[in-house]
Amino acid sequence: MTMIARHAEPGRRAAWHGFPVWLGLLPFALVLAILFAVPVFSLLRLAFGEGGFTLAHFQRMVDVPVYRSVLGTTLGIAALVTLLAVLASYPLAYVMATVGPRMRSLLLLLVLLPFWTSALVRTTAWIILLQSNGVVNKLLMGSGLTSSPIAFIYNLSGVLIGMTHVLMPFIVLPLYAAFRNLELSTVQAAESLGAGPLTIFARIILPLTAPGVVAGSMIVFMNAIGFYLTPALMGGPGQTMIAQMIASNINTDLNWPFAAALATVLLVATISMLVLFQRFFGLERLIESGGGKAGEPFTVTSRGRSPGGWATVAAAGLVAAFLIAPIIIVFPMSLGSSPFLSFPPESYSLTWYANFFSTSKWVAALTRSLQIAGVVVVSSVVLGTLAALGVSRMRPRWRAAVETIFILPMIVPVIILAVGLYYLLAPTGLVGSIWGVALGHVVLATPYVFITVRAALKSFDGNLELAALGLGASWPTMFRRVMLPGIAPGIAAGAIFAFITSFDDVVIALFLTNIRSRTLPKLMYEGVAHEIDPTIIAASCLIILVTILVLGANLLVSKRT
Amino acid sequence: MKKLIVAVAAMALLAPVAASAKEMTFASWGGAYQEAIRKAWIVPFTKETGIKVEEDTGPETAKIKAMVDTKSVTWDVVTAGGGGLMRGVKLGLFEKITPDMVKTDHVIPGARNDYGIPSEIFSTLIGYSTKAFPAGGPQPRSFADFWDVTKFPGKRTLPDKPETVVEAALLADGVPMDDVYKTLSTEIGLKRALDKIRALKPNVAVWWASGAQPVQALGSGEVVMALGWNGRFQSGIESKLPIAMAWEQQIPQVGFFMIPKGAPNKAEAVAFLNYIVKPANNARLSEFVAYGPVTEQAWETIPTARAETLPSTPERLKSALFLDIAWWAEAGPRVTEAYTAMLKE
Repeated sequence: MTMIARHAEPGRRAAWHGFPVWLGLLPFALVLAILFAVPVFSLLRLAFGEGGFTLAHFQRMVDVPVYRSVLGTTLGIAALVTLLAVLASYPLAYVMATVGPRMRSLLLLLVLLPFWTSALVRTTAWIILLQSNGVVNKLLMGSGLTSSPIAFIYNLSGVLIGMTHVLMPFIVLPLYAAFRNLELSTVQAAESLGAGPLTIFARIILPLTAPGVVAGSMIVFMNAIGFYLTPALMGGPGQTMIAQMIASNINTDLNWPFAAALATVLLVATISMLVLFQRFFGLERLIESGGGKAGEPFTVTSRGRSPGGWATVAAAGLVAAFLIAPIIIVFPMSLGSSPFLSFPPESYSLTWYANFFSTSKWVAALTRSLQIAGVVVVSSVVLGTLAALGVSRMRPRWRAAVETIFILPMIVPVIILAVGLYYLLAPTGLVGSIWGVALGHVVLATPYVFITVRAALKSFDGNLELAALGLGASWPTMFRRVMLPGIAPGIAAGAIFAFITSFDDVVIALFLTNIRSRTLPKLMYEGVAHEIDPTIIAASCLIILVTILVLGANLLVSKRT
Repeated sequence: MKKLIVAVAAMALLAPVAASAKEMTFASWGGAYQEAIRKAWIVPFTKETGIKVEEDTGPETAKIKAMVDTKSVTWDVVTAGGGGLMRGVKLGLFEKITPDMVKTDHVIPGARNDYGIPSEIFSTLIGYSTKAFPAGGPQPRSFADFWDVTKFPGKRTLPDKPETVVEAALLADGVPMDDVYKTLSTEIGLKRALDKIRALKPNVAVWWASGAQPVQALGSGEVVMALGWNGRFQSGIESKLPIAMAWEQQIPQVGFFMIPKGAPNKAEAVAFLNYIVKPANNARLSEFVAYGPVTEQAWETIPTARAETLPSTPERLKSALFLDIAWWAEAGPRVTEAYTAMLKE
């Protein structure tokens, strides 16, 4: 019994008369089986030959050194980006947890801003900021810090800057949630026992925020592996990533068997890394829940900030500046009159905004994107939360395996899923409707919700659940009144990630929509091989403005009540 | 889940029924290119024939293959470059277009193909900054000049894919035009091209991935010379960026319109292809985008001032090396591997 109790997660005993495991696992498992396993494996199968069995495609990967080198580069860049994102996220999440509510909302908005701009707009802005006679180099040279321009882009640093920028929010949000779950009394107790700031960070904060960081890191790492627009535009030839090669083998060379072989190797490599990672840092290894929600959430103690705390605040300021820099210059850029983007623009006009509103296609695509994202958020929050509840109540033996299966959609290159889904959905007539693309997005988005809710459940105090059930609450009542409020930040983060996954996707939309159902990102990418239509910059600015207005209004309203 | 099944069933019932006659769907790459096609060809075609043309975007060859495989082709005419055409032909994705369907005797020989009707000619050539190399001083004219960093100092940008770059490298190295593909077919010849590019690497600031990049890089001063597409350079010039093109040496390519196998409105598609390749009609595209016509007779209706900006004038084609799409269809993967490896060194 003690053995079981040690391995079991809190609340497991309650599961017998509460929430059945199968109810949690089944819905998402079914979705995965039909909309992911079938389409993806029917395509990956090609790696082993279209007629008979062959390993020739894998042999080619071994024989031609460039593929190994690209795979190595991909994993290396993904690891570096993850590390950078963790390092940059700590100060910011710490500050978010320790400032007043208004400042906190502002910071939250800041963290999310990179998300609302299309990847195309972001990279364009970075290039204009960082090119050799760009804004940053002009500032550095003008102030005498350097005498010749620094090569920020078209090399490794360009890729790291671009990718860390957009992937950081995936760590900041769960990390911030973990900070909020910390109990102030724990820190106060440590202080009263004589622990210094460093000890508190190493012995309390680090272990207690680990679930959030691990969840975020997994998301960032797997996301980074699939990147190819940013490396192609901001990197040099040394930073070619594997997703780029898979996409060009699918789309340009039409060599699907070889693309399948590349994807299979990538899948195996990523899963192996994931298993190793799980073994050493995985959610299973992390401490059991840290204290209940009864206490006061973490903030600065009566001792005030230590010098280290102030240094962290300064670091957070830099990180915030990094997050917002490319977004700030996008606004003046959107007011330029030339179709060739520059900063500052030589002359100003509202041409691109007029363009956005005068041609119905932009507004229509935006509306459609929002509709699809809405459907996706609701479905994936339900599926992902159920799955997380189910997994946390499973026997530990199978938990890690199920957990890995549930996040597979994040690892398989999206283009493989997109093509596979086309074959699956074409006979149903769903191709070309918004439902086809929404189904694809649900598959992509649910793992995000699953991971963040899993992390939230991990730091949720199971004793509260037991207490509620012990006092006679039914499981649904307990869930609504006790557990849901506790894991709400995790669900919210998952919902945001799900929204972004849908709202930013190009690849699924490319295959599953037509001109009547195209989404905003698909419209933005049309013709991009030839030109960048500045209307996309105006569109991004409008989305940012609306986000700021909505959140701002929300702030004002919540302040009054 | 039940909801999903219901949705799937409902959508299946609502699946589009066969389109009524006198209608067809055209799919291209969106943006300014498709807008030019609409103005030059689609609108007048509908006016002349009464055939309504629905437009779609994103005719990725992979999507065409998926459509053909699943017998759910919704497009009647799609557009692609030579590479997309040849790879699609290899997989049997396009209908064969016989001379009694569309007559192409008047098309210049290098642009004909059994499975695609040539729509326009665009070109890869040198664009350079007129700030770095102003008129009056020496200006780059040939691929040899592109490689000459003493006479023309400054950074360059080249495509991150080998098409047109290996050709330009051999031409710069003194290989006669007629021998370029013969040379590239040998291992030594390919190595010669890659070595030539390797030697220029320290002077290449940007390996571009999208056609807009070389113009952006020239405009911002990041580079002084670019190997890029004439249409993009032309838009840069029209937006008053300090750019000029070197027309003496170029590698033209042909754009094609194809009919996917199993297209629902094949007769209308054939009518459309006949329309666009007719000299007077074919000439019209160049009013809206800086691409040249595919037939010599078209020049009769193109004003001289516009002809100055187009790549396929009879004069310019004399010193041009057409991209050999059949050669690339065969050697593409091998050359791309070698090129990527060279870049990664």
